[in-house]
Amino acid sequence: MNKTAKRLLRRAPKNILLSMISLFCVFPLFWVIVAATNKSVDILRGTLVPGGYLLENWKTLVSTYAIGPALLNSVKYSVVTTFVSLVVSSIAGYGFEIYHDKHKDHVFAGLMLTMMIPFTATMIPLYQMYSKLHLLDTTLGFILPSISSVFLIMLFRQNSRAFPMEIVEAARIDGENELGIFFKMYVPTMKATYAAGMTITFMNAWNNYMWAKLIMSDDTTQTFPMLVANMTSGHYIDYGQLMLAVLISTLPTVIVFFALQRSFVEGMTGAVKG
Amino acid sequence: MKKRILAMLLTGVMAATLLTGCGSSTDTVGTDTETETEEPAEGSGDDAVDAAAEGPQTLKVWCWDPTYNINALNVAADIYREEHPNFELDVEEIDSESISAKLATASTSGELDTLPDIILFDDTGFQKNVISYPEIFTDLTDYGFNYEEFSPGKVGMSSVDGRNYGIPFDSGTAIACYRTDILEQAGYTIDDFTDITWEDWIEKAKHVLDVTGCPLLNGLSCYNQITIMLQSAGGSFFNEDGTANLTDNAVLKKTIELYTEMVEAGVYTEETGWDTYIGGMNTGRIAGAMNGCWIMSSIRSAEDQSGKWQITNLPSLDGIEGATNYSSQGGSSWAITTSCENPELAVDFFKSTFGGSTALYDEILSTGAISTWLPASNGEKYTVPDEFFSEQPVFAMITAYSGNVPECYVGTYFQNAMMDVANAVTEIIYSGTDMDSALSAAQDTLTFEMSQQ
Amino acid sequence: MKKASVKMRQNMTGWVFVTPAVVLLIVLSIIPLVKAFLLSLQTGRGSNLTWAGLSNYVRMLQDPTFKQTIITTFEYMVFSVPIMIILGIILAVLLNDQMLKLKGIYRTCIFLPAAVSLVASAVIFRSLFAMDGFVNTVLVGMGILDTPYNFLGHPTSARIIIIIMRIWRWLGYQMIFFLAGLQNIDASMYEAAKIDGANKWQSFWRITLPMLKPMILFTTVMAINSALQVYDESVNLTNGGPGFSSMSLAHYVYNTSFVNVPNFGYSCAMGMLILLMAAIITFVQMKVGDKRE
Repeated sequence: MNKTAKRLLRRAPKNILLSMISLFCVFPLFWVIVAATNKSVDILRGTLVPGGYLLENWKTLVSTYAIGPALLNSVKYSVVTTFVSLVVSSIAGYGFEIYHDKHKDHVFAGLMLTMMIPFTATMIPLYQMYSKLHLLDTTLGFILPSISSVFLIMLFRQNSRAFPMEIVEAARIDGENELGIFFKMYVPTMKATYAAGMTITFMNAWNNYMWAKLIMSDDTTQTFPMLVANMTSGHYIDYGQLMLAVLISTLPTVIVFFALQRSFVEGMTGAVKG
Repeated sequence: MKKRILAMLLTGVMAATLLTGCGSSTDTVGTDTETETEEPAEGSGDDAVDAAAEGPQTLKVWCWDPTYNINALNVAADIYREEHPNFELDVEEIDSESISAKLATASTSGELDTLPDIILFDDTGFQKNVISYPEIFTDLTDYGFNYEEFSPGKVGMSSVDGRNYGIPFDSGTAIACYRTDILEQAGYTIDDFTDITWEDWIEKAKHVLDVTGCPLLNGLSCYNQITIMLQSAGGSFFNEDGTANLTDNAVLKKTIELYTEMVEAGVYTEETGWDTYIGGMNTGRIAGAMNGCWIMSSIRSAEDQSGKWQITNLPSLDGIEGATNYSSQGGSSWAITTSCENPELAVDFFKSTFGGSTALYDEILSTGAISTWLPASNGEKYTVPDEFFSEQPVFAMITAYSGNVPECYVGTYFQNAMMDVANAVTEIIYSGTDMDSALSAAQDTLTFEMSQQ
Repeated sequence: MKKASVKMRQNMTGWVFVTPAVVLLIVLSIIPLVKAFLLSLQTGRGSNLTWAGLSNYVRMLQDPTFKQTIITTFEYMVFSVPIMIILGIILAVLLNDQMLKLKGIYRTCIFLPAAVSLVASAVIFRSLFAMDGFVNTVLVGMGILDTPYNFLGHPTSARIIIIIMRIWRWLGYQMIFFLAGLQNIDASMYEAAKIDGANKWQSFWRITLPMLKPMILFTTVMAINSALQVYDESVNLTNGGPGFSSMSLAHYVYNTSFVNVPNFGYSCAMGMLILLMAAIITFVQMKVGDKRE
């Protein structure tokens, strides 16, 4: 009893700090949830009490905007992007680290540079290329620039350092080919990294607004964040409807995070010991 | 070793260039098989109508507000379809900033077939776009559109060098709207704010603030407010020859002087987002609004404030020659692109609707879209008292105001000038820079931006 | 001899593994970059461009708005990056404690903002800091302020709020990387240190930080990079205002192309400069931090 009390006391500052930061992080989201259940006017008056207007907001949202197709598009683009990008980028990250030599290190440094290219600078040439290749308004067009993600390559390259080379050597002696080693040894071992990579890639793909806005002009191809952005530019802004849309646009990424969080942690604990 | 990497990169680049090269060659074949681009029809009348009936009957449009211009288009399409059952309109909602981005990319890449048939532009950016991307705009001068039935100032907004590139849409006539219930608490009526000057306005606004705690106005930074005040006296950021004119500009200086006083007195709140701007009036935090008449649709969205609003004209700039109580802000016009395969159809559509149907304007009036087509003000709904605005016949009032709006020179570099002036105003208000040096810095920046183009 | 060929084959396999990613990046980043560079040597209004040599680069030196926006961008970087990294490490270390209850809840809470899109975050923050927003209501209610303060309307506070929003949105994201890095540190190292009589503070400095070094390097490069390219916050939260006072360089680049009278050449030249700055900073960091033992 006494002991636990002592321990609690010792942990108090830590918990207070963590709670405060958690609160700082979560409060704006709590506010969105409250806002989604209130009338536009009440939201602007700064209410912090959940209201009973959720259903009304939903009805206006659904009747004003075609949210179904936009949601479906976003899901399609994000899932495909995440899958393809993880395969291509992880294999490259693995390649850069496990088979590293001076040349590959230099190529990698070159790739790092491409990460620094501001999108605004290459937007015009890229659009030009897209237009010529008829990639505008297509799923392929949307995912193409995200497939080879320097960020993911970097993540896998960094994390591969913790991947024990002895496993690779042992497998080679057993006569396993290099691709086999990657898929049979590396992928299962690096589950944690994949979970993290998946969460992040999905998030980026889902929230990718500028690119989508540039290449998707057809109503049938527009994404959910584009729809949210359109909602803030009208002569009249229905906050209830807007906040509900903001909430809906946040849900999928949150769900992915929750879903992967467990395997993320599980993968972590088992990762290195393999 | 470095050479080897370079060689490798080059090989990669070459391979990739080959790839794109292939793409573009197939593309040329593709465009060749498509329809030949049509030359603008000479003359007008029956020829044009015949031509309109032959080509494709679907028009693709880019515009941005479902409750406003998109709604207006759809109503227009329904009206046009009564006579032309095959007519289809494919409206896509794209915000005006994305439209600029797409124009830029389409124009520099020469891929004009990515553009729709019709695009809506803000009047303040129309000439800029025509001058920057002349290849995108169809010259409508010889298509026989009834421009003479529109207010000349409005038509001028979308004309360059005497050629017409746009079809006028909504009016941007500026109005001042006030919460009469709040004014009443301070002992004022709408008449105390009608036909007054800005100095008078500021004194009264301070009193309202003292009594009720409500600023009379807010705005998206200073952009719209400065434009409205400047143009109410026919002022401009430029000389007639197009050169920057920020330093020796009495109208601009008076405007900034008054604006600074308004902000410092707390009677004008600068907002950073459209949402908080609209929010200010909808919650009753702000007791008024001053903007193009389209702002009424935003005011109206607070249904619980029905009957508490009235509109009137603007204050005038004190001691300025040519000062009036009228101005304009916003308003937009349609452009027909050169990638439109059936421009005759597009012109005919506009002629029969936005340039020929009082029914259309009556129908879209409730959204706040007020016509610049002069005969529309004869529509029956224009004279009906408006319940929301305390039974004032607001539309007739606005139509009357619009006749008094002074003509102004907008200029191609309007957007640049506006940003530079906004920055000067920020320096004056928040850093205490004196007006002359702030404006002369802005003049230098603007002249710089206009150089080397 | 045979050993050498095995080595060669493995080396080739390595190239095969990295090729798809490298080719894609060349086509989608490097080629457009080269084209953008060529564009930066041209000048003109809209699409009527003529060759102009380095005049766009000279132009930058004379452009007051450019100077102002580059200073603002550096402010965003200098204030947001260290706070995010240091706080991220502290949080990760605290959350890495096996005994800590509610660990999962804290972690989730802190990470959640990263899931919110930038468009949405801007809407949220603008509402919170509005004149009648939550923050003003609380501060006036507590008597700290007499009248509501126009946070987003004043140059300094607008910049601070952009920094706060960046920290809010990216802190959890950074933290996750450090958590991942910490998980990869073998617990036996701490036990050994404990046996050697090191206290927690010492083992943090001697084990945790050195082991986290690659991760710190990685996240710092990413964070600096994204700070140099700040665009969405500037556009959506303050629209660069008041005046140009909170406008980032990337926002100005965008405006030069798409809001003002378009000057693509100049816009591309400024883009090149952002790239150059990022490259230099990263290069220095890599030289300092990425030494293989």
